Amino acid sequence: MSAPVPVVDVDDLRVTLRRGATEVEAVRGVSLQVGRGEILGIVGESGSGKSVLGLSLMALLPASARPIVTGRIRVLGTDMVGTSANDDRLLRKKHIGAVFQDPMTSLDPTMTIGKQLGEVTSDKREIVKLLADVGIADPETRLEAFPHQLSGGLRQRVMIALSLARNPSLIIADEPTTALDVTVQAQILDLLLELRETRGCSVVFVTHDLGVAAQICDRIAVMYQGRIVESGDVEAVLGQPQHDYTKGLLASKIDLDTPRDRPVSSAHGAGSADHLPEVWPPVVMGTPAVSVVDVHRTFSSGPIWKRRHLEAVRGVSLEIAQGESVALVGESGCGKSTLLRLVAGLDSPTSGSVTVAGDVGPQMIFQDAGSSLTPWLTVGELLGERLRAAVPGITRPQIDRQIAETLERVGLSPEVARVRGASLSGGQRQRVAIGRAVIVPPTVLLCDEPTSALDVSLAATVLNLLGRLRRELGMSVLFVTHDLAAARLIADRVAVMNGGRIVEIGDAEAVCADPQNDYTRALLSAIPGTELRRPTRSLTDTHNEEGGA
Amino acid sequence: MIMFIIRRIASMLGVLFALTVALFGLQELSGVDPARAYVGANASAEALERTRVQLGLDQPAIVRYFDYLGGLLHGDLQNSLRTRTPVAEGLSTAFPATVELALWSLGLALVLGSIFAVLTVTRWKGAGIVRVVLLSGASAPTFLLTMLGLLFFYGQLGLLPSGGRSSFGSTSPGPTGLFVLDGLLAGRVDVATDAIWHLILPAACVAISPAVAIGRVLVDGLRINLVSDHARTARSAGMPEGLVMLRHAVRNSLGATLSMIGIQAGLLLGGLVVVEKIVSWPGVGSYLDKSVQASDFPGIAGVALLLGVVYVVLNTLVDLLQVAADRRLVLS
Repeated sequence: MSAPVPVVDVDDLRVTLRRGATEVEAVRGVSLQVGRGEILGIVGESGSGKSVLGLSLMALLPASARPIVTGRIRVLGTDMVGTSANDDRLLRKKHIGAVFQDPMTSLDPTMTIGKQLGEVTSDKREIVKLLADVGIADPETRLEAFPHQLSGGLRQRVMIALSLARNPSLIIADEPTTALDVTVQAQILDLLLELRETRGCSVVFVTHDLGVAAQICDRIAVMYQGRIVESGDVEAVLGQPQHDYTKGLLASKIDLDTPRDRPVSSAHGAGSADHLPEVWPPVVMGTPAVSVVDVHRTFSSGPIWKRRHLEAVRGVSLEIAQGESVALVGESGCGKSTLLRLVAGLDSPTSGSVTVAGDVGPQMIFQDAGSSLTPWLTVGELLGERLRAAVPGITRPQIDRQIAETLERVGLSPEVARVRGASLSGGQRQRVAIGRAVIVPPTVLLCDEPTSALDVSLAATVLNLLGRLRRELGMSVLFVTHDLAAARLIADRVAVMNGGRIVEIGDAEAVCADPQNDYTRALLSAIPGTELRRPTRSLTDTHNEEGGA
Repeated sequence: MIMFIIRRIASMLGVLFALTVALFGLQELSGVDPARAYVGANASAEALERTRVQLGLDQPAIVRYFDYLGGLLHGDLQNSLRTRTPVAEGLSTAFPATVELALWSLGLALVLGSIFAVLTVTRWKGAGIVRVVLLSGASAPTFLLTMLGLLFFYGQLGLLPSGGRSSFGSTSPGPTGLFVLDGLLAGRVDVATDAIWHLILPAACVAISPAVAIGRVLVDGLRINLVSDHARTARSAGMPEGLVMLRHAVRNSLGATLSMIGIQAGLLLGGLVVVEKIVSWPGVGSYLDKSVQASDFPGIAGVALLLGVVYVVLNTLVDLLQVAADRRLVLS
């Protein structure tokens, strides 16, 4: 008996993308197979070529990159390389479904859910059934909703419904849970596993997150610089990694067992540029630097006769000592970012008071460092601007010296002062953003998810950098994150927020090891570790998931 | 949605009210004495005074304003000092002429702009030529373009008429006053084609600059939306490129494009006034030209009010169309 035809059969695939005169070989000779009903994980960091590989499997590489594809891709025995665009399109239409990272932008914002699903299946009963299949309660009532009226999790369920409409044999999922909260991520992973059981479709699951891959994949392929460096059963690859890169990735993954008393070891060996100590010196704490007393913040919208009120923060009190680091942890909509904006002075509380000590106001670091750097200014100009604003009458040589010192402090060479943000890598940009925030050391440094857009190894280096800087400069840090594992490493104390309130606060290690609140426990259990599938991971019942505001 | 429409219409009425106040105020400040203009320079002081009372000019300004406003509501735009007949009467023949030219100009601008945009984003080979032609046309002032057009197509080639609206007299054969439409309605194809022949040159000259502006905004929108995540989603579901463009790219580009269409339609009204003069178009622009030369304030005010109404209505229409294209604007 001959072996069954694999759903995906890739042989020596090479993809070159072109921008202007420069050519980048994004995929350099990849071969892989996906069997019927199998879930294959493609794991790697940004720039590893994993997303390009995923798009190649659908023949959806951006035309503007003028891609050159050689080698062989067969989906259900049909070739996809060297074939006409129309043949590829028909193959996609019949056999392939796609789920992308950001369900907000991946759905047409001006179209209702019903209309968008109507583009792939015209039967209204079929649409309702699809929505029910992906676990959306009351599907009929959602048909008239626009994407922005749904929560992130519901939006991703709609995307999945869209991809399933024509009953595809293959689903390409490119980072489908990266933009979601951990608890919602767990639900979406469950849903994909369930759909694989009921429909028997194969899934190619592209992710940067080894923990997520461990939860859902049968086999994984680790990509590095356009090549698959290691592949095999998920137990084997994660249990006994053979390749150094895989070992490094596993080592730099932050979880609840990572030691807190020393810097995180990084896959790329973070470099001596960061002057990291062997073990963190103890933090000296002083008088309160930030005190938040019974703060409420209510947003009102709509006309006067049917005014709606959203209580984003409902009575929060929090004190941060000089030198102390506190992490605010919670899911989207819990009020953590609103609280951060209140402390930053970007917003005023409806009632209660926020006091920040010291002469230098709080400084802030954002999630997306790329967009927080003004594109037409050089790094030197950006840093100099901050200096001139904070230190009146400072002279040119003083500015230059301080910029050089600061760049060195954040692990960049002084030459970086002459370039613009766009020509730096993601990790370097985040270092520049940190440098701008600390060039005049603030009393308190506010961080809004500064690591969640970064690869694991980069996230580790940023956490290490922040850990060193706060000790050197004696800054207080308020660190907002949805990631409890990162919070545990960066913070002395962790405050868990839910529904606008702090539901639990305490020593970081204690909160993670022995949570007192149910919600904290739920958050902890939803973190995907590198151990394999756990039977029950979803905590909130799907049907409780509400649409957005 | 209904609340939104009501609010838009209410604010439209507010703007129009403010316009009447401004026009009345300007008339007061202009220093032209309507009674003097009415009776003539040689009339006696008594006759002047009688006319003043007769015209209600002895009343205080506030009373006269409300008389004026009341008159407007009944379609009375005062009497022209030039023709001594109601301004409304004079405009009733001039307005349809301008409307017809404006509609053709705007229509042409939309068609040219869309062609320009679609050819550019689909990287069609001849797009560069279309671009050069449109851009060079748009970079010349409208009046110059019209004159050069007349010299060439009428003077040199003898292809197009020298000016005017129709070779069949100044009365339209139908109810709307629009020659092409009325000609078709009345079964007079010859009148309709003749009218189109007269329309082509002025409409094209007025259209070319708005076409480039509208086209450029549309190009930007289409470019962004064609590489957007939601277009990728549509492609991943096997949707043909043409449909991706139509359903996902065009619709999402409409917001900014409609804004630009509104702005350009307003500017276009101004351009028409000049072009009408050049091609002897018997429209509102020509009427305004004569009124200005005769210091006929009611005539000028009548035209200003009429164009103001058109402008405000156009903008309200743009707002409503934007909401139709993207209902998020009224949700949440």
